[in-house]
Amino acid sequence: MLKPEKMVRVVVVGTNDALDQTIESLHKLNLLHIIDYVEEEAGFKIGKPGSMASKFSEYLVTLRSIESQLGSEEGSGFDKKILAEELSPQIEPTLSELEEEVLKQHDLMRSIETELKQKQDIEDTIKSLALLPLSLEDYTGYQSIKVFVGFIDSNIEDAIRAETNQYELYTGSIEGKKIIAVAVAKEKEDEINKILQNDSTYTEIRPPELTGNPQTALEEIAAAKAELTKELANAESELIRLKQEYAEFMLASEEYLTIETQKSEAPLRFATTDHAFVVDGWIPLNKYDDFEKTIEGGAGNVYVSRLEDEEVKDVPIALDNPKPAKPFELLVETFATPKYKEIDPSLILFITFPLFYGIMLGDIGYGVLLGILSWIIMSKVKSGGLHELAIILMYSALSTIFFGIIFGEVFGFPLFNIMHHGMVEGGILGIAGPNIGMLHLPIHRFAEVKPLLVMTFVIGILHITLGLILGIRNVSIEHGFKHAVTGKLCWLMILFGGIMAIVTAMPAILWGDILNTQDPIFVSGIVLGIIGIILLVKGEGAIAIMEIPTLLSNIFSYARILAIGLSSAGIALAVNTICRDVLFAQGGVFIVVGILVLILGHTINLLLGIIGPGLHSLRLQYVEFFTKFYEGGGTKYNPFGFIRKYTEE
Amino acid sequence: MVAAEAAGFIALGAGIAVGLTGLGAGIGEQSIGAAAIGAMAEDPKFFGKGLLMTVIPESIVIFGLVVALILLFVF
Repeated sequence: MLKPEKMVRVVVVGTNDALDQTIESLHKLNLLHIIDYVEEEAGFKIGKPGSMASKFSEYLVTLRSIESQLGSEEGSGFDKKILAEELSPQIEPTLSELEEEVLKQHDLMRSIETELKQKQDIEDTIKSLALLPLSLEDYTGYQSIKVFVGFIDSNIEDAIRAETNQYELYTGSIEGKKIIAVAVAKEKEDEINKILQNDSTYTEIRPPELTGNPQTALEEIAAAKAELTKELANAESELIRLKQEYAEFMLASEEYLTIETQKSEAPLRFATTDHAFVVDGWIPLNKYDDFEKTIEGGAGNVYVSRLEDEEVKDVPIALDNPKPAKPFELLVETFATPKYKEIDPSLILFITFPLFYGIMLGDIGYGVLLGILSWIIMSKVKSGGLHELAIILMYSALSTIFFGIIFGEVFGFPLFNIMHHGMVEGGILGIAGPNIGMLHLPIHRFAEVKPLLVMTFVIGILHITLGLILGIRNVSIEHGFKHAVTGKLCWLMILFGGIMAIVTAMPAILWGDILNTQDPIFVSGIVLGIIGIILLVKGEGAIAIMEIPTLLSNIFSYARILAIGLSSAGIALAVNTICRDVLFAQGGVFIVVGILVLILGHTINLLLGIIGPGLHSLRLQYVEFFTKFYEGGGTKYNPFGFIRKYTEE
Repeated sequence: MVAAEAAGFIALGAGIAVGLTGLGAGIGEQSIGAAAIGAMAEDPKFFGKGLLMTVIPESIVIFGLVVALILLFVF
């Protein structure tokens, strides 16, 4: 909690005859984060991969290329896992059979597609030729006549006539384009060709070598095309059938091959001699006893020992949080993996992220819809990043409902009766808001902008203060307390000195009251701030003064908590007002329009309401909060092993 | 009359504060957004970081909004 899991450096040493058994146990345990052995020194060499390694990876490449051709997707696991030892002899024959089938269908599809393309081209040509009063055989096959066919815009007849008077010209038009066919004597072919080619609007058409009426030819081609399309669809459905038939085999054997490749390539990460091997790595401290027992209990001469005084450098990071806060590790990892001695802020995000989100969205109706949405995602997607995001969304939805009650809003409609410009506006419940202690519900967001704005600044100050305190802790552990004072504590002093001074001077700034410079709070604030600045300059140089205004902008930035909320409440209110006061009041068909506007408006607002508060709440964490203490840059704990989904041993 | 004029100017000021900062944020976001999309095309893992970088200039609008809110509700 708040700190990554404690790790211990271990070394596994054994004789070569125990190598395979040890790799097997290590892989099954899925605990050891192996540090790759890279340098060859003092008689140690990098190990050799297992004899099957190249075979396995070859199969894997084939399998993955088939999968990408078939467009296979990852499933969520089978009801019954496949036994690895039953699968392994099947892989080679089934894989080559499948590869052959897929290739065959693909070749077939490609040849059909080429043929279709050719037919299409011919069809386009004949469609143009159909406008001329000629049969298809009239264009070619003469000994003494040449026929030119093409599209042209300008009038070419005069130019042809100037060259020869032995010609015949046919014209037609399609979609505003003019098509001509000119038949001339063969000896004039070059001259006429020159005339046509010199005309920039001329595009030549090559008539296909077919006979008969263009219309009949078109019908024949259409029939042939339909036949080809049917064949193509058959080939496609054959591929889909293959994909379905072999889906289980592909998923299971990919997993099996991945695992076997990992295992047989593992020695590449070990240091070996002629007779022994050494594996170096990290495991979680609380798993050490199990680890030692399992590995040493395997066959052969294998020994495990832990290195106590190893300096903590490059320790792999396994985040360790209570189960409810686990999903928030995703948000931390997205930013950066923490270093070993750093605070892991997942648990803080677990509180602050939904809190900010809830204050921003703050609407019972949207909260319930969000809750349903996240529940659907959670039940559809059982693992992975999306599942964790859905859990985060669920917390945020609960917080949204809670603040919705406080703000008294349901889809922008008031929950309780509220006073509005001296008139009572009836709420959904039809009762006045209850009093809880000093708090008088509802806190209407549009009416209470000023106190809410002040509240967001207070939240900001508290959040930043927490960040700076964590910063003091991180820096003093890593670089000593002196650095923490000049690096972080000084900022805390400037922050609070500044707040004390500004708050006491506020009446003078805003309304021109006389500033009481004798006020002890004002004076001590100024003094505190100046001490902070001196410490800051001592620690980071005079240039750091430039950074002081960022503190102010950081705090102002928290005003977005109110601002996003106001905009989403404003959109909801606008949609409701348009429907109720404008459209519904008209009656008739306008009621239908009103309902459409209502649904559309609230859907858009809900979508904005997921994206806006989510991003801005996250941004407040990443930009305003994390920058105060968090550096990150650790290596993620990635143990040697595999979580089996489709196969079992 | 004077009060009404003052209220009008306050409303104008609030509008200018939000409008101009909105423009500013837009100009800032355009190049970041383009670069973020580029990075995402190289490696989809940049989605989270890209999205974050893209919304950073939005702070400016928030400041504009704070100014507008102060103008409208504090004065």
